[in-house]
Amino acid sequence: MTRTSPPTNRLRRLGAALAAASLALAGCGSADSAAPAAAAGCAPAGGKVELSFWSWLPGIDQAVALWNQGHPDIHVTVEQTPQGNQGTYNKMFTALKANQAPDLGQVEFDSLPGFRVQQGLRDISACPGVADAKSKFVDWTWAQASVGGDGVFAIPQDTGPMGLFYRKDLFEKYQVPVPTTWDEYAQAAKTLHAADPKLTITHFPQKDVNWFAGLVWQAGGHWFTQDGQQWKVNLTDPASTKVADYWQNLLSQGLVSNYQGFSESWNKALDSGQIATWTGAVWGVGTIAKAAPSTAGKWAVAPLPQWTKGEQRSGNWGGSTTAVFAGTKHPAEAAQFALWLDSDPQALAILTAQGGIYPATVSAQESAKASPENTRFFGGQDVDAVFREAGKGVSQDFTWGPSMEQTYAHVRDGFGAALSGNGTLGKALSEAGAATITDLQRQSIPVAK
Amino acid sequence: MVVAASQTVAGAPPRPRVARRRRANGSTRAAWLLLAPFLLGFAVFYVAPIVVAVVKSFTAVTRTSTYGRPVEVFAGLANYTAALGDAGFTGSVGRVLLFGVVQIPVMLGLALVLALALDSAVVRLRRFFRLAFFLPYAVPGVIAAVMWGFFYAPNLSPVNQLLDPLGLHPDLLSGSVILYSIANIVTWTFTGYNMLILYSSLQAIPPQLYEAARLDGASGWAIAWRIKVPIIAPSLVLTGVFSIIGTFQLFTEPQVMAGVSSAVSSSYTPSMAAYAQISAQNYGLGAAMSVLVTLLIAVLSWLFFRITRARAAL
Repeated sequence: MTRTSPPTNRLRRLGAALAAASLALAGCGSADSAAPAAAAGCAPAGGKVELSFWSWLPGIDQAVALWNQGHPDIHVTVEQTPQGNQGTYNKMFTALKANQAPDLGQVEFDSLPGFRVQQGLRDISACPGVADAKSKFVDWTWAQASVGGDGVFAIPQDTGPMGLFYRKDLFEKYQVPVPTTWDEYAQAAKTLHAADPKLTITHFPQKDVNWFAGLVWQAGGHWFTQDGQQWKVNLTDPASTKVADYWQNLLSQGLVSNYQGFSESWNKALDSGQIATWTGAVWGVGTIAKAAPSTAGKWAVAPLPQWTKGEQRSGNWGGSTTAVFAGTKHPAEAAQFALWLDSDPQALAILTAQGGIYPATVSAQESAKASPENTRFFGGQDVDAVFREAGKGVSQDFTWGPSMEQTYAHVRDGFGAALSGNGTLGKALSEAGAATITDLQRQSIPVAK
Repeated sequence: MVVAASQTVAGAPPRPRVARRRRANGSTRAAWLLLAPFLLGFAVFYVAPIVVAVVKSFTAVTRTSTYGRPVEVFAGLANYTAALGDAGFTGSVGRVLLFGVVQIPVMLGLALVLALALDSAVVRLRRFFRLAFFLPYAVPGVIAAVMWGFFYAPNLSPVNQLLDPLGLHPDLLSGSVILYSIANIVTWTFTGYNMLILYSSLQAIPPQLYEAARLDGASGWAIAWRIKVPIIAPSLVLTGVFSIIGTFQLFTEPQVMAGVSSAVSSSYTPSMAAYAQISAQNYGLGAAMSVLVTLLIAVLSWLFFRITRARAAL
């Protein structure tokens, strides 16, 4: 997952949102005509093939240019779009309904089930090379791309193992040890805030529900499980409740601030030294360097605090795939391109350097290296080594639900209310779970009660 | 028809009549031909979306398994009952009603005062002020909202930096005031627009009326309230209806505020609620919400017309 600074994106998101809304209302979704995701048969077309591809990753055009150079018979045209949740998914869904979707698109892990439920994805498991590629990728990413376990619908591109970004200088100044457990983290929050009332240990990013889900992932929670033909929804399992109660406690004591993640306010707070840590993901290395330029050299990365001392569990926040859409006429070539893009060392070198991704293949993760300027920002620390270890501690069996957009919205709304003093994070989760079940029933998606 | 008509009209010479008809038909055909591009566009981009939205609002999808193909079926009023039973949606309607009750009178009152001030001879630099008041309307809504977002964010706002030493830390993004913060943006944007409508109808009043009033000893205030305001009342009603419609369509400002405030939910206004459903591929429910809002706007506008007409005896 790639995040860029908000103001321009906000505009783009709105523009795309308005366009998508008007298109949707205009009835472009009247015909249910997307081709079924046929598993059988995936033979190369032979001859010259044109593929279209939507992606928001910076530098993707350079990788595609490299592909086009080496593959005169399979020409790929890339279109740069805003980040998925900022409008591109709406655009993709609209295009799928109108049979105008590209052959391939960048889709994050959490949105794959939704695309599959809406018949948007093509099963490429029978395409040449796909089955053999499985071993190249980190196990859980492949599991995510096979949505539901009976096919392959996308090729994993990058992942987002989480770690703790912290202000080395502030922890030293106030003689607070870098927390290794969540208990120590809460203790550090108290000490730092007591030492400087303007300083909070972190912010609670109400809108970034996938951040919260990453922490639930670490704690061993499961919001969605697929039980045969039915979905089980449980946003209040013991792990989720534990995480919610933990943050509610910090919020109630006023120990975390209330900035929106990636907002100008948050950037300012980071840059002016009012936030001491951020539990972010590997792609956040670039985010934080860009958001807080005047704090260069003062940051370091440590493993995510643990619930039980000595464990090495991490969560995952973000991560993308190159998905093959249902309407493609050339699934074999599309799969071939997706495999190349997400596993070829040269392609990954471009995506890592330009797009700041943390690749999903085992070998590329071994050699991943932050850019020189980002390494300088972190005082020369080998940040990738920390995230490489974190990646090994990401549990494999976290499943995203079939309507994450709506689940996120419900949790966001509930968290917002909790932050305004109406209810708690735990209550928000339980209400969001109930609302999600209603959503699924409205879409006639089978849910276990 | 032509034959029947010429037969029934007694005494009229049939020949020229038919000839005239033919000529009329010819020019009618030409008129239709010229109108065709407009009518086509009107049908495709105006009527069809409305029809599709209404049809969609009566449909839902069914599927047989988790990843089964969705089949669109007739759902009767299910989407409407779901919309009316959705606390987020009904809450959003209540919210914009409150918003309208507070914001519209303030905005139109301001617009009227500004228009009267510009119309009176008192104000110098009339052109400058007219442009200055109107200028915010030229700023795209998104830009305006982003800009005000900066003013509101406690740790970015220049206003807060001035208030900080006094021990005041207002948070204009918090739950209790965010609705008024949004109302402020809307007022800032649209007051000048409404003022211009009122101002141009003031300009259309013949000056003799004022002369007559002055001869009768009316003061400037009396002229304003007894003559100007009643005469431009239809324009006030018009701006009122525009404002009611605009209020229910509120989307941009709260959507942008949602990026900086935790108090703006995903179904903060009816438009946002419908948009959220459509983003989630719930086209039927989203369409039903849109239709309900449209009906509500129609009813409220009609009521507003009725009340103001009775009051102002227009």
